Amino acid sequence: MVLSQYEKGSLFWLLVPFFGLWVLFWLVPLILGIDLSLQSPTFTAPHREVIESTGTNPPPFYLSWNLPENSEVIQRDNMKYIGLQNFSNVLEDAKFYKALRNTLIYVLGSILLLIPLSFILSLCLFQLSKFSRGLLVFCLMIPGLALPGVLSTLFYLFFHGRTGALNQYFVVPLGFEPVNWMMDPSFIMPSLIIQAVWRWTGLVTLFFLCGLQAIPNWQWEVAKIEGAGKWLLVRKILIPNLWHLALFAMVFLVVDGFASFSGAYNLLGGSGGILDSGLLLVTYVYQVAFPGGSGRFDFPGAAAMSLLVVPITALLLFIILQGRRRWVLR
Amino acid sequence: MRKLISFCILTGSVIICLYPFLWMFLSSFKTNREIYQPTLLFPENFEMDSYQSLFSEQYLPFYSFFSNSLFISGLQALFATLITAAAAFVFAKYSFRGKSFLFGVAILVILIPKQAMAVPLFDWMLWLGLQGTSWSLIFPGIASGLGIVFFTQVFRKIPNELLELAKVEGFSIPRTFFLILPLVAPSLITYGLLHFILSWQEHLLPLLLLDDENTTLPIALSKLRDSSHRIPESVGMAAATISLFPVVILFAVCFRKMKTALVHLSLS
Repeated sequence: MVLSQYEKGSLFWLLVPFFGLWVLFWLVPLILGIDLSLQSPTFTAPHREVIESTGTNPPPFYLSWNLPENSEVIQRDNMKYIGLQNFSNVLEDAKFYKALRNTLIYVLGSILLLIPLSFILSLCLFQLSKFSRGLLVFCLMIPGLALPGVLSTLFYLFFHGRTGALNQYFVVPLGFEPVNWMMDPSFIMPSLIIQAVWRWTGLVTLFFLCGLQAIPNWQWEVAKIEGAGKWLLVRKILIPNLWHLALFAMVFLVVDGFASFSGAYNLLGGSGGILDSGLLLVTYVYQVAFPGGSGRFDFPGAAAMSLLVVPITALLLFIILQGRRRWVLR
Repeated sequence: MRKLISFCILTGSVIICLYPFLWMFLSSFKTNREIYQPTLLFPENFEMDSYQSLFSEQYLPFYSFFSNSLFISGLQALFATLITAAAAFVFAKYSFRGKSFLFGVAILVILIPKQAMAVPLFDWMLWLGLQGTSWSLIFPGIASGLGIVFFTQVFRKIPNELLELAKVEGFSIPRTFFLILPLVAPSLITYGLLHFILSWQEHLLPLLLLDDENTTLPIALSKLRDSSHRIPESVGMAAATISLFPVVILFAVCFRKMKTALVHLSLS
């Protein structure tokens, strides 16, 4: 709509709360993070000791004019900015690649399992009456409502283990040896993926179900008149109509997967599990920065690592959103 | 035949989704020895000890953790819904110079989640003097990119005639926004609920930013299950059961509205 000068001024009041918070709690931390990632870890680590001993709040960034003079540790090693050293350290870190690979497996594995499974489930639900449909979707969504920590506790106590439910009800009846889910390095990632699938299937099913309900009736009728086969129905009606929702679900899963921390943290107690085979990116960042992991207090390294993940997520999201044109144009 | 297959798939998946939680609930009455037998469903006799020790705060100040969680998630969801809806309303309905730039910049929030910025955020909160308080968790969660995307789609569906009518009546734009809000109530509820759930589940930021005395439930739960196994497992199970209540109740109340909003949204 065309606006007068006065009205443009009033738009400001609707935008200001969002962008005020955006600058204060997103942009500033981001800039601080970039600044931090260029600093020397041996500079910031003693600096942290100073904070803890004096108990004062230091400014988040030190420029030449507000450097504390009295701390000898800082005078000992006053190389502050070390350029891209932290980034190259991270890129040489074998553990970083391990964490990255695990996270990619986690994200892609959960997407590849979740989307088809929810698609099938929503088709099954679509045949039912409205009431039972709602009730069943609600039941399916309950794992998504629980805290991830609860899910991994349940996984630990209920599903995993030699006598656990997964082995007793699924693996052994099918005639396999019982799997040692948490101790066998090759089964830690699958068990994390199983948890992700268990958690989000209900939500994605709800998305698809709503998408199915929104398909206009004439499309079904045309298909009926034309005598379209099942495969054609799937390809020409279902997939084009649900594609947007599937993309949205994928974006959600990618973002959530790269940020996921709680489940693995609870399950593995902040470590990466046996041989680090369950090490996810955020867990590793946490390990590098804070005690409980290695206690390295390497804040700059952690910041550099977080920033290196951004282009990877961006690339993945870009690839997913490329798929948008593909199906819709057909 | 097809009915039968879909019936089997559905019952199977519903059982997988519900049975563990039933087991969890019943496990809060069990002894440790019984809990370590996962195939056992019912306890021999129902012991209420776990709930008693939880509510008498024998191990953790459970009440304050619980109310803290509610406070943080509730306020965060409320503010996030209103503030992102306001900004998205402007993006969806009005055009001005620099709009696409601002929109792109707001979307960037999705790309770099706040978990990735935990370390500098910790520093910044320390300097602001907010570190350790609940506000250090509420503020960073409000500016959400997902909310902007969601509400922009929602407000695009509102007919322009309505806004023109409001203009003729002499209402200012902020006033128009508040008048339109009831029309999109299902979407507001949907987004508020999703945001509530996501912040209810947040683990990393409270772990870093909050003081030990006023942390949130996820951290309390992982504390109850520390590796030393001093605390009976049933207490953890009881806490887990209770942590499920607020979300499930809220969800059950809002489920209808949520479906309306989602169907409406996918009709594009």
